[in-house]
Amino acid sequence: MIRRARLTAAAAFVLPLLALLAIWEAVVRAFDVSPRVFPSLEPVLEAGAAAIADGSLIRHIAASLGRIALGTAVGIALAVPLGVAMGTNRAVSAFFTPLLRFFSVLAGIAWIPIATLWFGYGFGAITFVIFNAVFFVVAYNTLLGVTGIAMPLRHAAASLGASRWQLLTEVLLPGALPNIVTGIRTGLGFAWRGLIAAEMIATNVGLGYMLFVARDFYRTEVIVLGMIVIGVLWLLIDRLLLAPLERATIERWGMVRAA
Amino acid sequence: MSTVAAAAPAPLAVSPWQRLLGVYVRWSSRNPWLATVLPFVPVIVAWAAIAKSGLFPPVFFPGPVEVIQKFGTLMANGILPAYLEDSVVRLAAGTAVGMALGIPLGLLVGMSDRAHRMLWPVLLFFQAIGDIAWLPILLIWFGFGLTTMIFVIVYTVLFPVVLNTVLGVRSVPIELHRAAFSLGASKARIVWEVVLPGALPNIMTGLRNGLGFGWRALIAAEIIVGTSGIGFLMFDARRAGSVVEILLGMIVLGVLWYVVDSWVLAPIERATGERWGLVTRKD
Repeated sequence: MIRRARLTAAAAFVLPLLALLAIWEAVVRAFDVSPRVFPSLEPVLEAGAAAIADGSLIRHIAASLGRIALGTAVGIALAVPLGVAMGTNRAVSAFFTPLLRFFSVLAGIAWIPIATLWFGYGFGAITFVIFNAVFFVVAYNTLLGVTGIAMPLRHAAASLGASRWQLLTEVLLPGALPNIVTGIRTGLGFAWRGLIAAEMIATNVGLGYMLFVARDFYRTEVIVLGMIVIGVLWLLIDRLLLAPLERATIERWGMVRAA
Repeated sequence: MSTVAAAAPAPLAVSPWQRLLGVYVRWSSRNPWLATVLPFVPVIVAWAAIAKSGLFPPVFFPGPVEVIQKFGTLMANGILPAYLEDSVVRLAAGTAVGMALGIPLGLLVGMSDRAHRMLWPVLLFFQAIGDIAWLPILLIWFGFGLTTMIFVIVYTVLFPVVLNTVLGVRSVPIELHRAAFSLGASKARIVWEVVLPGALPNIMTGLRNGLGFGWRALIAAEIIVGTSGIGFLMFDARRAGSVVEILLGMIVLGVLWYVVDSWVLAPIERATGERWGLVTRKD
C-alpha cells in the first residue's frame, strides 16, 4: 500500500517534468531553433551517453561532489562546536553575533577572488570557498540557536544536577539542532552555487568547468546536459538529505514554526 | 528566622570577569548600534598587527591602513561609487522584475490545485539548476552584457519568492476564505484582502532569501561577465594581483549587505510577521 502511494507520488512528480521535455522538443522542432542557440532532446541524450562512455561525466561529478563533501564536512565540524561555545554565555554571544553575521552575509562567492590568489587556481581555492560558505552560516545559526534556548531550561537542567557535558548534549545541542540544520541547508545552498561559480573560474575539472568549456565551443547540448545534471544532483541532495534531516529535527524536538 | 538565614548558602561568588560580562550584556542591549560596531575593533586591530608582523608577505596580506587609503583613492577618482551604483542598480532592477513575476506566479500555484500539480515539480527542478549554471548559455544567448546579468538576478530572486509565496498562500486557513466568501467578498477581494496579506510574511522571507542568493549571483556574474561592478572590481584586482582592492571590495560588500539585511530586510520581515503572522498561526 505504502509502496503504491509512493509510486503514485513519484509519478505525479515526474509527469510534469516529462511534459516539459515534450514541450521542449516540440518548440525546438516547430521553430527550427538553431542548435547553437538551444539543442533538441536527442543531441543532449547523445552527449550524455558519450560523456558517460568516456568517463568524463563521472569524473566531473566526482570532482564536484568530492569538493563539496570535504568543504561541508570540515565547515560543519568546526562551526558547530564554535557556535555552541560562543552561545553559552550571553555576553560572549552578544559580542560575537555581529562579527559572525558580517561574515555569514559575505560567505561564499565573494571569497573567490582572494581564495584563488591565496591558494592558486584549483582544489584548494574551491574547497575553501565551499568551506567558508558552510562554516560562517552554520556557526551563525548555531549561535542563534543556542542563544535562543530559554534560560529557565538551562537553569532547570543545572539545578537537577546536570553536569556540563549533560547540559551540552541534552539541552544546548538538541535545542539548537533545528537552527543548525537550517544553517546547514542555507550554507549548502550558498556552497553549491559557489562551487559552480568557482569551477567556472578556477579549475579544469568539475561540473562548472564542463559547462564553461562547452560555452567556448558553442556546444549547447553539453551545457544543457550539465544544467540538467546540476539540477538533478541538487534535487537529490536537497530532497533526500537536507529536507528529511530538517523535518526530522523539527518534528523530533517539537519546534513549532510557521508553515 | 536568623538561624535559617545563617544556614542559607553563601551567595554565589561573582568573579570580576563575570561582572564585566554582565555589564557588557546590559550595555550592549542599551546601545545596539555601538554594540554592533565594537566587536569589529579588536578584529581590525588584530588584522593590523598580523599585517605589521610580516608573518605573510604584505602583497598577499595588506593591513587595514592600506585598504582605507585605497578606499580614499577609489572614492576620489569616482571608480568605487560608479561600480557600486552599477551593482546596486542591477540588483534592484533584477529584484523588481523577479518580484513582479514571482508573486503572481506564487499566488496562481498556491491557489489553484491544478496549477500546483503541474508546476510545482517544474519549479523545484528549475530552482535546483541554480542561477549560476545558467551563465554559460546566457552568455551564448545575450553575450557579455547587462541582459545576462539581469536575467541571472531575476532567475535567482524569482524562485525563493515563488516557492515561499506558495507556502504562504497555502498556510492561510480555509476558514478565512470561506468567511470572506460568505460575507460576500468577490474572488479578487479575497485575493487582495485575505490571501495576499496572509502570505505576506512568507513573501518577505522569500524576498530576503532571494536577495541573499541574488547578490551572490550578481558577484559571480560580474566576475565572469566582467564589465563593471564590485564583482568586476574584485576580479580585475585579482588579475592585477592587488589584494588591497579585493579586500576593499569584500568589505564594501559585507558592510552594504549587513546594513541592507539587518536594518531593512530583517525589520520588514519581522514587522510583517508580527502584523500579519498571527493570522496564519491561530490553529
